Amino acid sequence: MIKHRLPLLFFAVAALATPYSVQRIFLHTGIEKKMGTVQKIFYFHVPLAWIMMALGITCGVAAAIQLRKAATGRSRMAESLSIAAGELVLVTGLGVLITGPIWGHATWGRAWTWDARQVSTGLLWLVFAAFVLLRRYGAAGSERLAAALAVFGAVDVPVIYYAVKIWKTIHPQTTVVGSLPGSMWATLWLCVAAILPTCIALVWIRADQERSAMALDRAWIERDAAAATA
Amino acid sequence: MDITALPESESAAPGGEAESPENVKKVEGRDPETVRLKRAYESEVEAKVASDHQHIVWAYGVIWVLFVGYGMLLWRRANAQRADLERLQKR
Repeated sequence: MIKHRLPLLFFAVAALATPYSVQRIFLHTGIEKKMGTVQKIFYFHVPLAWIMMALGITCGVAAAIQLRKAATGRSRMAESLSIAAGELVLVTGLGVLITGPIWGHATWGRAWTWDARQVSTGLLWLVFAAFVLLRRYGAAGSERLAAALAVFGAVDVPVIYYAVKIWKTIHPQTTVVGSLPGSMWATLWLCVAAILPTCIALVWIRADQERSAMALDRAWIERDAAAATA
Repeated sequence: MDITALPESESAAPGGEAESPENVKKVEGRDPETVRLKRAYESEVEAKVASDHQHIVWAYGVIWVLFVGYGMLLWRRANAQRADLERLQKR
């Protein structure tokens, strides 16, 4: 029973942290000198990007476990987790890919600059879109191909992280977060505390739904088999 | 309000009675060019802040639409699953 109430607990934490974080962003955190007010997009853009990358890794690892256990029997837990995390990569990724260019449009004067980090993030989103579509519409047996695709997608996560260090780019460096003044740093982590529980709750609910769908499918098959033999 | 200094010829008192130089208090203020630049700068800042607010509202709006949209998708899926379970139990 506690298992079913945990998402509610996560939503409750998010419901408290979200209004407080918005209040902190606009009323208690200073305006950045170079970019001005538009820099406040940062407080939701960056946590979304972190969560997107963490979910990409989660999906890849769960898919790898699913592939490894495929020989001995299906790992429903890993499979459902990879599907749920994969879908949330699409949601958070879309958030990152829209808020980033909005910020870029105001700061750089151009929404899309074909920057290495933009391209690698776009690639990650496309790989996970293929994963989700394959899981949704793929024929029988395509779950192994989808899992391999998720592992491939997870490999793109370090590429996104190091893109600003390896290639010449106008995207802010990873060191920016470490050099933030105290108030900005606290606000950023408060925003993480607002978005992360929401994402955990959504992954939890979606994974639970997927396991129920698998159980329902098995029940229908058993019922049809029993009806055929009777 | 800041007043710019008038040229000497215009600073004479009305009625043609010129005051003696000892009684005239020199007016000091910003020159018209500074005022013009200041106003131009202020309107530029105003436009930048308005544009920033517009960008912020779009960015935050998009995030909430995405999460609410996904939440609604999950809710619809849960309803469909519940209906499927009821169908299975009826048979």
